[in-house]
Amino acid sequence: MIEDLFFLEKQTYKKSPVHSLDARVKIIIAFAAIIAIVAVPYSTVIYTVGAVFFLFFALLWAASGLSPLVYFKRLVVILPFGIFLIVFQIFFKNPYYENFTTIATLPFGIEIYAESVQFATILLVKFLVSVSFIILLSSTTRTQDMLEGAGRLGLPAEFTLTLGMMLRYLYVFGYMIRKMTQSLETRCFNPFDRALPYRYRLEKVAYAVGTLFIRSYEQGERTYMAMLCRGYGRESHLYIAKKPLERKDWVFLTAGMALVIVTPVLAWTRFPVIL
Amino acid sequence: MHIPDAFIPLPQAAVYWIIALIFIALSLRWARKELSDEKIPLVAILAAGIFAIQAVNIPIPWGTSGHMMGAALAAIVLGSPFAAVFILTLVLIVQGVLFGDGGLTVMGANIINMGVIGGFFGYYSYRGFYPIFKSPYAPAFIAGWLSLFIAALACAVEMAMAGTFPLGLGLFSMGLYHAVIGIIEGGITAFAIYLIATARPDIMADSTGVPT
Repeated sequence: MIEDLFFLEKQTYKKSPVHSLDARVKIIIAFAAIIAIVAVPYSTVIYTVGAVFFLFFALLWAASGLSPLVYFKRLVVILPFGIFLIVFQIFFKNPYYENFTTIATLPFGIEIYAESVQFATILLVKFLVSVSFIILLSSTTRTQDMLEGAGRLGLPAEFTLTLGMMLRYLYVFGYMIRKMTQSLETRCFNPFDRALPYRYRLEKVAYAVGTLFIRSYEQGERTYMAMLCRGYGRESHLYIAKKPLERKDWVFLTAGMALVIVTPVLAWTRFPVIL
Repeated sequence: MHIPDAFIPLPQAAVYWIIALIFIALSLRWARKELSDEKIPLVAILAAGIFAIQAVNIPIPWGTSGHMMGAALAAIVLGSPFAAVFILTLVLIVQGVLFGDGGLTVMGANIINMGVIGGFFGYYSYRGFYPIFKSPYAPAFIAGWLSLFIAALACAVEMAMAGTFPLGLGLFSMGLYHAVIGIIEGGITAFAIYLIATARPDIMADSTGVPT
């Protein structure tokens, strides 16, 4: 995940109409889209909503000029746990349906139900759409802009300060991990080498973890002292300048929010296909 | 164990968010009071360290890799379960918003599982077992194991209440998997505590590693 951090940063420094939108607009649209798709009850209405939302996402991704490969590369990292939960759905009777029709019977009396397959598909649509919007947000917005945007949107000062410090040092520790891994490799240590006793491998990895902890604590001490020297105190906070939204931001925000709100409402009221 | 979006319906997710926010507020109060107020930046940088620790690939006996949670480690070293709540909240925000690891609407539930449950079970089991073993390592192992195991069970219960995963199978599969991973979490917590208590005894909440 640390290596992804550097990969992610490269993407956010590219230039495109989507990259240049104000961070606040992107945060609001991405969060609204996720909340909207989660808010739609578990029903087949989600197919329409999901299709519209995904199209919206795909258009934005195309406008961002990032390669689809970037999207898939990031998607693969996120999927496993969600996909595990979704795939197993097809064998369960869940509380959202009353009658279940068996479509296939496997050995050991395991059955696959049509309704459960439908439920799994519904979950998959919701999951993919919400993950896609997060990928879009974090691939096109620099972390510092995102932080300032969140601050302008009203995230409390305690959090903008702490998150800001944390984000800055993530990269420092990213390099630190890379160096530690490399120096372990130069000494021919591989934590997955089965020729070595398991306890030995675990011990070495644990020392790396403990060292990281101590080094990050010490970095914290040094930074804290340096901040004190520069007048840091109780009332200190991250300075965020006021920045009015430009016209293109307003246009995109209004259009995006209209789409995100109207689509589920229309889909829900026009075709009430409740389970 | 990071629950993704859509696996908990919005009303339930909101309830978890409210509970999580209460604990976040309590942990902020802890940070102000116990860390002599301005030391918050130190914890923020430590949160970046825990994020890095979670990114370390850890070998699991049959060849796959896993990741640590680190809640018990943070809580034991800093001497308060709220340290884990504070740090894991920051870590989960970054993981959720930047990496899509754990959803936004369900972040409340994730903070409860990993930060609150992980931190409180980790810290209090360490304190509880310490007088029995008279050394910090066995309790640290148990604390690491329990923090992960109970958090996994809580995750299974939440998904069962959401109706997205049956209770029995969820408890069994999540419980079994994390009972095994927990051994590694516990082992690494114990080794790391040993290293920290030897190399920098002053940063342990109590210099000898003995809870006060």
